[in-house]
Amino acid sequence: MQADQLLVLVAGGDQRAFEDLYGLVSGPVFGLVRRVVRDPAQSEEVAQEVLLELWRSAPKFDPGRGSALSWILTLAHRRAVDRVRSARAAGEREQREALRAGEPAFDQVAETVEAGLEREWVRRCLDRLTALQRQSVTLAYYDGYTYREVAERLKLPLGTVKTRMRDGLSRLRDCLGGVA
Amino acid sequence: MSLMGRLLHREDLHSLAAPYALDALEPGERRRFEKHLKDCGRCAEEVRALTEDAVRLAWSTAAPPPVAMRDRVLAAVRATPQEPAPGRERVPNLPPHVWGVQPPPQRRRPRPLFVPFATATAAAALVVASLFAVQADRTRNQLDAERAQSREIAHVLAAPDARAVGAEDAQGRSIGAVASASEGQVVVTLSGYGALPKGRVHQLWLMRPRAQPRSLGLFEADTPLVATGLVKSATSLAVTVEPAGGSAQPTSQPVVQLALKSVGFGE
Repeated sequence: MQADQLLVLVAGGDQRAFEDLYGLVSGPVFGLVRRVVRDPAQSEEVAQEVLLELWRSAPKFDPGRGSALSWILTLAHRRAVDRVRSARAAGEREQREALRAGEPAFDQVAETVEAGLEREWVRRCLDRLTALQRQSVTLAYYDGYTYREVAERLKLPLGTVKTRMRDGLSRLRDCLGGVA
Repeated sequence: MSLMGRLLHREDLHSLAAPYALDALEPGERRRFEKHLKDCGRCAEEVRALTEDAVRLAWSTAAPPPVAMRDRVLAAVRATPQEPAPGRERVPNLPPHVWGVQPPPQRRRPRPLFVPFATATAAAALVVASLFAVQADRTRNQLDAERAQSREIAHVLAAPDARAVGAEDAQGRSIGAVASASEGQVVVTLSGYGALPKGRVHQLWLMRPRAQPRSLGLFEADTPLVATGLVKSATSLAVTVEPAGGSAQPTSQPVVQLALKSVGFGE
């Protein structure tokens, strides 16, 4: 069964459907959180919270507003970004150490086959963007920086960063195709 | 604001669609943009498309989660009620079994300082939160102990007759318990009690009619206590402050007491 159908069942309180949904989305959720948060223990904690929130707020899912996967990964990304920002706010230095400690572990995480193929595609398509488009998109999405922070890091005006983000995403869409 | 100013303002907000889809707005901006989205059809459409694009970036990062995570999440799901769908009344049969029996609203407080939680949600949330507590720095032994404990907690939560109960006092100190009468087990979490002076511990007691209190164990900091061998006649749980190592019988007044009638005991 597809995530969209499962999510409808989960919204009705079906715990078995949630188990199936867990099988489908726990890998993407955990991988995304881990990519953004980096620290292994914190990633596990955030991923668990996201999956529990998925159960709790499934009745709020509106299929008219997008796919289930998109909704779930958007939720996961939001929580991961919130965590990495509060960690940064708590202490830049500590965070840098966590990043260093987290990185080798991240590389050792086995990727799923589909993710491997998809990763190749995404990498290929990211390569087709201009350097500024690519950096604007990845600093925000994979590293959790706000567009103001991205502008600061790339020494660009705010308006330019917003445009680069928009152009970068549309070029990605052209390259990857519209279907997720 | 002038018409020009309003248009500029709209245009300015509109340009935030891509940063919004990438979660690259600050909280205040995010809220303002979401408000704007409600009455800007063009933006809503654009955000939907840009969000789908951003999600493509997510899909390529998939990685297998730790195996133990599955049990913890599924156990938590069993003990956690769902939120009602927007604009709909809460469906009575929607919440999982844990919410099947609600303690009736009490007119009199069982103890002057303590009131029952409005719903059992908060009680279960305390216990569920403890399932998810992941420490950054752990030794192998701590990790094994934590996993063993998570399994025990998951076991209680997964019992078909598991029920949650809790109480909170005026200072925000709370006790939460999830109990299964068929398994004779209870998971108890204390929250907000802070650190005790050196050499003192919180000890958990089982209270039965016409019987001496029986020790169920000692709390270690915020770690939940899993107690087994609960008899059906048990009427309440009590927590006292005792000297390190615990006492054979309570030596002080309970700091909190929790009735077990609503969770299938006290017969």
